[in-house]
Amino acid sequence: MQSNNQYFVPHGSYWPIVGSVGMASLLGGFASSLHGNVLGTGLMVLGLVIIIFMVFGWMGQVVLESESGIYNKQVDRSFRMGMGWFIFSEVMFFAAFFGALWYARNLAVPWLGGEGNNFFTGQVLWPDFKAVWPLIQVPDVSKYTVPKGIIHAWEIPAINTLALLTSGATLTWAHWALLNNKRNQIIAGLIATIVLGVIFLALQVAEYGEAYQHLDLKLTSGIYGSTFFMLTGFHGLHVTLGTIMLIVILMRVIRGHFNPENHFGFEGVAWYWHFVDVVWLGLFIFVYWL
Amino acid sequence: MKYIILVFFIFIIYSLGSALYYMMKDGDGSRRMVKALTMRISLSILLFIFVIFAFWMGWIQPTGVT
Repeated sequence: MQSNNQYFVPHGSYWPIVGSVGMASLLGGFASSLHGNVLGTGLMVLGLVIIIFMVFGWMGQVVLESESGIYNKQVDRSFRMGMGWFIFSEVMFFAAFFGALWYARNLAVPWLGGEGNNFFTGQVLWPDFKAVWPLIQVPDVSKYTVPKGIIHAWEIPAINTLALLTSGATLTWAHWALLNNKRNQIIAGLIATIVLGVIFLALQVAEYGEAYQHLDLKLTSGIYGSTFFMLTGFHGLHVTLGTIMLIVILMRVIRGHFNPENHFGFEGVAWYWHFVDVVWLGLFIFVYWL
Repeated sequence: MKYIILVFFIFIIYSLGSALYYMMKDGDGSRRMVKALTMRISLSILLFIFVIFAFWMGWIQPTGVT
């Protein structure tokens, strides 16, 4: 271990340039694919593959450096700071989408219905418009896919909530096991958490299938459909990412990484999973119930 | 009923936030973070049970058209 006043800097790491190449081809490819260029789409996919390769390669190197004991307390602090800023950006991200839902439901839709000092707005624009939520009867049906119904809270969403809450409990069980140095219990807890995460994702896919095929509830179904799919879709993406991170942590635990005094990687992923869990609880309450 | 759910939610976010604070502030030996997370998951499970109970009692109804 290095002394506290000397920050560890790796020499000759090629990962930053690999990442730059990946990002350049992802963005350049995306821009030309928007112009209908097939080569651009290929370049975009290649860029994504390079970035995924970079993330696993770079983080793998960080894990090896950490395990070989060349990091000091200062590096540990910088990891915690990095995690803090990452979480800040995530909180802002979801705050924006929950904010959009709140604005549409409580302000924009009632205004269109003539609430507040907007009586004539309602009369002039769409006199027959009824300001209700969920907004299934959209004003101009020619512009939207009109849904036949919505996903009910008391079906897949409730089962999914149960799955995610149970996964939060199994992860906490694994967390306590880590602090008490019970390795088999950590592994069992992590496997249970991962399995529950996969069950959640599979059910979410089934729910989307139901919404698109039978209910005509789509991203293009007006403000209800777009807020519904943006919120639950991005949440699903976060569960996917969290599951991948948990699998990495599980493999590290199996290889004997982490001990009761040194396990920030575990803590970061555990907090992330709890965060994603709370976001779901918010979705379950504010999107499906209220 | 909305307010009971909201109060639950505020406590859940508070315990999640304090877990974050302990993760940032404490070293790995500390148990304050896992205690806050245990509080977080316990409150969340209680809230879920409460919502189901309220639905069963007919106090709340899911959004919109049936």
